[in-house]
Amino acid sequence: MLSCKDVTERASDLIDGNLSAWDVLQMRLHLAMCKGCDAFIGQLRMTRDVTRSVAEAETRQSADAADIEAILCQLHESKQGDG
Amino acid sequence: MSTNTQDEHRLVERLVAGDRAAFEQLYRKNNAAMVRMCTGFVRNHATAEELVQETWIAVLKNIGSFEGRSSLAGWIYTILLNKARSRLKRDGRQVSFDESGEDNGLQAAFDGRGRWKDIPELWEELTPERVVAGRSVLEHVNAAIEALPSAQRAVLILRGQQGMDAAEVCAILNINEGNMRVLLHRARLALRIALDRLQ
Repeated sequence: MLSCKDVTERASDLIDGNLSAWDVLQMRLHLAMCKGCDAFIGQLRMTRDVTRSVAEAETRQSADAADIEAILCQLHESKQGDG
Repeated sequence: MSTNTQDEHRLVERLVAGDRAAFEQLYRKNNAAMVRMCTGFVRNHATAEELVQETWIAVLKNIGSFEGRSSLAGWIYTILLNKARSRLKRDGRQVSFDESGEDNGLQAAFDGRGRWKDIPELWEELTPERVVAGRSVLEHVNAAIEALPSAQRAVLILRGQQGMDAAEVCAILNINEGNMRVLLHRARLALRIALDRLQ
């Protein structure tokens, strides 16, 4: 029988689908009986999803046109230097 | 060919053709993450920004020779890491691949039999949508990511945010898959504590 500490150590592997069927079964048995671990797994799933959402939100923000312009200018100069 | 691969192939073609909108799309998806990851390695934000800019120039200059043996993002992050290594070598330093952070905030959470001392509770208030909608929450999460040790930060960004293939992350960072999973788990545990403070 897994302890709560064991469950927290395997939590990411569970939510990422990296555990064997036997390990998943053991985790599910524990989670069915332990509200604390069930909440912990929920928190870790949310942490995973929020982490992704932050990156997606940054992608939707408009890029700084001046920064892009600076890169393209440097690229142009660099190509001229090579030529 | 998968849809993602096809999309990437089209994006590369547009970049080769000098399509500014294609570059903007690539820049928006990766620039902030690149600076954040590189800052962890070189421990200086201005140097990281400079290296990321150099990386973009190298990417655009050499996009015609990109053969698709890795993903485009994998290729870009490899260039960035090589630039960070070169710069630090020039300065007599090494890339800081700090794996500290053993204390995952759970050390004191259990009794002698491995049971919770204080039982965690469900987060009722927090959703990914709320994070995206609230600028202060977004900044709180980004600050927590920037506080992570460099190795955890790199894995979280490449695997947890950019969704890069596990084998590719391991190749870029020169770590094995077991190590990568441990680093990702530790990073999430640290972020969980940061998010718990928002409740």
